[in-house]
Amino acid sequence: MQINFGGREIALKLVYYGPALSGKTTNLRVIHQLTSDGSRGRLMTLETKDDRTLFFDMLPLTLRAEQRAGGSGMSLRIKVFTVPGQVLHASTRRLVLQGADGVAFIADSQISETEHNAASFLDLRQNLIELGLSLKQLPVVIQFNKRDLDKVRSDDELDLLASRGREPVFKAAAVSGKGVLETFFGLLYLTWTKLDGQHGLAKMLGMESGALLPMAARQLGINADISALLSSCVGGNLDRHSRVHS
Amino acid sequence: MTFEAPQVAVADLVLDARVRVEDLVEREALEELCRSFQTLFGIPVRIYSTEGARLADAAGEHELCAYVNTTPDGQRACEAIVGAVRARDPGEDGDVTHTCFTGAAYRILALEYDGRRVGRLIVGPFLPASLTEVPATLTAVDPGILKERATALFAKVPRAKAETVTRIAGHLKSALDLIFFAGHKAQVTSKMHLASVRESYRQLEDKTARLQEALDRMRELDRLKSTFLATVSHELRTPLTSIIGYSEMLVQGMAGEMQADQLEFVKTIYDKGAQLLSLITGLLDLGKLESGTMRMIVRPVRMQSVLAEVSSTMAPTARKKGVSVELDVPADLPELRGDAERLRQVFLNLVENALKFTPAGGSVRMSARLVDGDASDPEDDEGLALLAPTRRLLEVRVSDTGIGIPPAERAKVFDPFYQVDSSSTRQYGGTGLGLSIVKRLVSAHGGTVRIEEHVPRGTVFVVSLPQQGPPPQTETHG
Repeated sequence: MQINFGGREIALKLVYYGPALSGKTTNLRVIHQLTSDGSRGRLMTLETKDDRTLFFDMLPLTLRAEQRAGGSGMSLRIKVFTVPGQVLHASTRRLVLQGADGVAFIADSQISETEHNAASFLDLRQNLIELGLSLKQLPVVIQFNKRDLDKVRSDDELDLLASRGREPVFKAAAVSGKGVLETFFGLLYLTWTKLDGQHGLAKMLGMESGALLPMAARQLGINADISALLSSCVGGNLDRHSRVHS
Repeated sequence: MTFEAPQVAVADLVLDARVRVEDLVEREALEELCRSFQTLFGIPVRIYSTEGARLADAAGEHELCAYVNTTPDGQRACEAIVGAVRARDPGEDGDVTHTCFTGAAYRILALEYDGRRVGRLIVGPFLPASLTEVPATLTAVDPGILKERATALFAKVPRAKAETVTRIAGHLKSALDLIFFAGHKAQVTSKMHLASVRESYRQLEDKTARLQEALDRMRELDRLKSTFLATVSHELRTPLTSIIGYSEMLVQGMAGEMQADQLEFVKTIYDKGAQLLSLITGLLDLGKLESGTMRMIVRPVRMQSVLAEVSSTMAPTARKKGVSVELDVPADLPELRGDAERLRQVFLNLVENALKFTPAGGSVRMSARLVDGDASDPEDDEGLALLAPTRRLLEVRVSDTGIGIPPAERAKVFDPFYQVDSSSTRQYGGTGLGLSIVKRLVSAHGGTVRIEEHVPRGTVFVVSLPQQGPPPQTETHG
């Protein structure tokens, strides 16, 4: 996170991590499609010929605490990144992960991908360690993507797994847009709650802490009930999670 | 080579650095775009960055402006207006109009990228569509400005409605946004590429350093092992010399006559002592060879004398076993550069080994000849027609009619302590060091040793030594 008082800006960085072909870029594309272009910029994708992410994708979102609405006039700039999932881009993943404020881990629900999911998560942990961070300090949500495919882990299995883990788990089928906003807002909620607790961001923006997500939804042109989006997660109670680790 | 790339602040990339449009755009291309706009709409267009740098200026001067500039006060007033327009902030809404004393107007619009102001777009001067008369402010600027002339030129200035200018400017702004995005993307890609290469390089260097460290440690351990071997061998040899010396004196009766039993026991002590000594000497040699501390004295060597000496040294042992030793060396065999003492040791070991495994009635034969260097290694046959004559080899063959060595075992017999059949150590004696010493000594001469089948029975050890001697680096070992 960066706070630039002169420029009246607060910048957050959210990173979508996960194994190759798990749907990280698809998540970003869907966020891009589902939001109106007043507050979000162009989706920058740096990919190779075969549609695999080469360096990263980046979607900039700019929220303004408008003075007219009682805010301070400061902007909250949110940059959402994806890392390249392929094993060979290890150094790029580490570079993109630098300075991340929150991570959405996009897992592939197919049973055959179990090992890749685990390997990528360990890779995340290792890279965080090398960057002087740890999973314990970082807001993390997990998305089990590709729920629409056959041979995936069942809902019951996921619920059980989620209840045993620390991170909130969202189920998604990103190609059809399902679960994408839920994951994004879940991550934004965790990250915001933690950073607001540490730095008093809401005060800087001249708003109530709880007003950020509704404001984000409004400025991004999303007509959805935020609490319904958040409550679609299983396991890893969002409130408890954020309190324990803020 | 050290890796020197321009410093890339990756933090800037992946965090939220301010984008400078100066770094994103190709100015000439931008200028071309502005010129095409002017051609299309007749209105000049200029682009400035936030920091005030002019990125593009396609402003061809209107005739009216040129005329005004011919008068001193007109020129001053014009410069003031241009300066004011250039410095004008587009305000909160990002869109202001600045009017000139000629009645013409400039529109100053904020350029935004990524939610931030990055520059200004200045459209104009153009005449608002509503203005039909030359304003009084124009002629008032300088008495030299003639009303008729000014009116004629005034009519040539392009006219536009405010909405039209808004539309044109909006169109230009979205074109610029695309250009900025493309430039930004290219910039991010190249920076990221460099940063990734740098990061990979750093990782690789790290790994190389760790490997090098491991290698250094291993080399040091190897050296310690060789030193240890040499020291231990030396320390063992000293008391052993006494054991052998005193038991020999006892056998020779220098301390008085001994009974038959006593004599036999002492002889056994002497024999085993001697055996132990040769084992230790072998170890010491091997240690020296491995640690590279063996000094070779390279001189011209007559192979005839070396082999004759070996033959005569081994003659008593051969006689005792009932095996004949034959020598076949042409008298005109040229000299070879090498260490005579080490070469003698090579063939002593080979003949001793041959005798050991050859039953009574058999024969051991040493023959030598000069051959052209051949490609004993089939991979190494490039340019052989040119190189072979410079690689003359002296080939010495030591053949026996002994038990032979199975093909699978042939490479292993040169390993220290290896014997084809471990029971043979007891049956035939020996330390198992002889052949490994042979191999190392021959290598030290730049030569090779290999084993061939001896038909109908037995083994041939073929030693090939380069006639011109060991390669220089071996020669300087010391």
